[in-house]
Amino acid sequence: MSKAQLFLTCLGDQFYTSTLQNMVRILEQLEVELVVPPGQSCCGQPLSNNGFEDKTRAVAMNFLRAFGENDAPIVAPSGSCASMVKHHYAGLFPVGSAEHALALDVAARTFEFTEFLIHQLKVTDVGAVYPHKVTYHPACHYLRELGLKTEAKTLLNAVQGLELVPLREEETCCGFGGAFSVTYPEVSRSMMENKVKCVMASGADTLVTCEPGCLMNMAGGLHKAGSNMRALHIIDVLASK
Amino acid sequence: MTSPLHQELIIMSETPSYIAFEEYSERVPASIPAAVQQATERFVAGRAARVGELPQWEELRQIGSDIRQHTLENLDIYLARLEAAVLSAGGHVHWAGSGEQARQIVLQIAQANSVKAVVKSKSMATEEIHLNDALEEAGIEALETDLGEYIIQLAGTGPSHIIVPAVHLTKEEVAALFSKHLGIDAPTDPTELARIARETLREKFLSAQMGITGGNFLIAESGTLVMVTNEGNGRMCTTMPDLHVAVVGIDKVVPDWESLTVFLKLLARSATGQKLSTYTQFITGPRRAEGEFGPKEFHLVLLDNGRSKILSDPVGRDVLKCIRCGACANVCPVYKNVGGFAYGSFISGPIGAILSPQMLGTQAARELPFASTLCGACAEVCPVKIPIPTILLHLRRRVAEGDEFSEPTISLPLRATAALASLALAWNWIYRFGARLLPAINPFFRRDGWLSGLPYPISRWTKVRPLPSFGSRFRQWWRARSAERKGEKR
Amino acid sequence: MTNPTIENIRRSLGRTDQSALSPRPAIYPPRQTESAAAEIDRFLREIKKLSGVGRKLSAGDVEPALRTLLSEQDIHTATAWDTAFLKQLGITEMLQAQGVKLVSPNADKREMAKCDLGITEADYVLPETGTLVLRSSYEKPRAVSLLPRVHLAIVRPDSLRADMHQVFAEAKHDHYLLFITGPSRTADIELTVTLGVHGPRNLYVWVQTPQ
Repeated sequence: MSKAQLFLTCLGDQFYTSTLQNMVRILEQLEVELVVPPGQSCCGQPLSNNGFEDKTRAVAMNFLRAFGENDAPIVAPSGSCASMVKHHYAGLFPVGSAEHALALDVAARTFEFTEFLIHQLKVTDVGAVYPHKVTYHPACHYLRELGLKTEAKTLLNAVQGLELVPLREEETCCGFGGAFSVTYPEVSRSMMENKVKCVMASGADTLVTCEPGCLMNMAGGLHKAGSNMRALHIIDVLASK
Repeated sequence: MTSPLHQELIIMSETPSYIAFEEYSERVPASIPAAVQQATERFVAGRAARVGELPQWEELRQIGSDIRQHTLENLDIYLARLEAAVLSAGGHVHWAGSGEQARQIVLQIAQANSVKAVVKSKSMATEEIHLNDALEEAGIEALETDLGEYIIQLAGTGPSHIIVPAVHLTKEEVAALFSKHLGIDAPTDPTELARIARETLREKFLSAQMGITGGNFLIAESGTLVMVTNEGNGRMCTTMPDLHVAVVGIDKVVPDWESLTVFLKLLARSATGQKLSTYTQFITGPRRAEGEFGPKEFHLVLLDNGRSKILSDPVGRDVLKCIRCGACANVCPVYKNVGGFAYGSFISGPIGAILSPQMLGTQAARELPFASTLCGACAEVCPVKIPIPTILLHLRRRVAEGDEFSEPTISLPLRATAALASLALAWNWIYRFGARLLPAINPFFRRDGWLSGLPYPISRWTKVRPLPSFGSRFRQWWRARSAERKGEKR
Repeated sequence: MTNPTIENIRRSLGRTDQSALSPRPAIYPPRQTESAAAEIDRFLREIKKLSGVGRKLSAGDVEPALRTLLSEQDIHTATAWDTAFLKQLGITEMLQAQGVKLVSPNADKREMAKCDLGITEADYVLPETGTLVLRSSYEKPRAVSLLPRVHLAIVRPDSLRADMHQVFAEAKHDHYLLFITGPSRTADIELTVTLGVHGPRNLYVWVQTPQ
């Protein structure tokens, strides 16, 4: 029986309770023994992306304390947060320091959810049933920083009844960009509206992505555009029976 | 023609003291992103087709990146070689530490030769130093001859796209400009307009005493200036007048002709989706034979203007690997939605966002490193693999925390917010406590299950799209469930 | 003597005037050549894609081909490189026989600018990209391929090179070298592709093959 530590991510924690619950259900069904380190907060990416390296370091320390003691893999419902830990933590600490070694160790066992299913658990079919037309938006960090180009589609294609339809300009950013969305709201708006236009033109009834931030952005955009489309985290589709 | 606001946004005749990206981005006329997107779509498709034909593309990119890196790391040696080679080919070399020095050098050459009229081919270096203004002030006519540059010179605006600088103007607007400036009744057919430009500019090429160009590459081995163009105006500028002055950044050096093969294969494919641009010129000094076509004198102005300073930043210096293809802008969703003007300088898009802060300082260009979602599309297409998102992050750090040239320049409210956030996120009990309070605000702002109209700073989110309700019930659920399971086990 | 720019560079890079040059990374090797016939076909396909007009012809075909070109393009004035190969083909005589006014390739630029047609050889051609490589000298003035509205290049089959690497190895000591890849073009007004904005609008490329 494998083990994992759940990294809730702050957006997951604040806005996506049922997605996190579904993540627990799927992993437990795959016989993964889970822990949720109570001391976790955020990976620190919002600070890092605004240039505050010093202040990011303190947040990263909290993360390393929360997850470092247990040597089980760390699984996040977000490619962006997983990538922060995987690719940006070690650089925060001087080479040779204990923190640097710990950051490298933690980075090596941090995984995005679909990556964990496919590459660690070697699972492509979780027995889900979702009889809908679905279109999929690959989130940028998930796609380019983690290089996860096929994983989500592999999982979606295995869902019974699910028809995956193409999304025009699927690899174009939705305009979320973390702090970007509030630093340059009007540019974020144009990008989001363009994405929502493509999503609505896809003919799907459900939009799926692997990133809570992008999901918030696009779901809000769809709501504002008066669309009835559902916008779901991939975990919620994979938990459907 | 263009609205006054439009004009105000896009005239870039002087080095900006502050680039107000947010303000610009919110006032860009809708026609600009629409036109820019037509161009970027075409170039993206063209690039993809060319790249698809070359199985060795990724290897070429890696080699291109390695050679650029190597050249920057040995730049002092290669520049010295270049200078010696240009001199031995009978050319002149001038070192310009600043834009002002470069302008003075060019003016002196012009005045020493009683130059009245100059023909110019498209050059980012001369735009960077605002050379045209200096020439005009000295009473020398400086005419841009690339069709797009000619049009925007008539319009008095800056470029909206690196490859097609006048793409924001419609054919009707171009016709109106031609009618006004040439005293004719210009038709709106692009082919006819190009013919009119050909005839008008042909006379200028034949009469100008000096041609000013930039350069795509400088070959250190032989002192050769390499120019890549499509229209033929670049050839005119280097063939017709008796004087040729090339103003080129010191970062444009390549070690030798062998290295150049790599960049010629990467450049046009990445830029316009051509295998090679129409005309590639390799110019080593002035003409040799009396009576041969070509200039009697060749002057190379090597422009530093902050580049040697950029080299001191081991992360930021990678920006100097750039070969100016524009592929990063073509795929950039931010650029596509704001166009070139919002970047407030001669260079726009992602590469502008990492170059301008390093050239102009983190005060003047402090907004630019943040003008990106860090989506990474740029780095994916860069022919010399510049890690643009990494440099954006690095420059954000220089803005937020200060660097060797400046104190932190990020706004005070942001610094205060960051300090608070750091405290709350690093002390996880504060975070957890806050998370439990947040759902209490839901009832005040909820409509149809979404929150809207939240106060500043979240208003900057909700003015664009609503926010999901605060939930944060997972931890409670997990604790209860764990307790229940423990109970069962007992 | 050194200069401030180079000193600043050294300071930034932590180097001195004693610092050595590190080895240059290896480059990507040139493409492999195919059979001459396949290379010529590839070359002509590329010329066509570039909106040029390419064809193979033997020495005997030059005169009729030239007659057709002259009438198609309404040529009254022409200039040509002063090279042995073009002389041997008898180009100037053919033009004169057709009543075309000949301008010396070393005439004043304003005279040259009046020419409808400029005829050159190509010192090398690159099949992969459809590129003509022209060298420059008193006999081979660069204006001939620039000022007239029509450019005709007559190519000897021995000018084929697999890649630009070979061209550079042979010609990198030239003071001027030119690659021409298609006719002059622009897309600067509403992205409408327009040929012949400053350079020639029409490009003809004839590859000579044995009779």
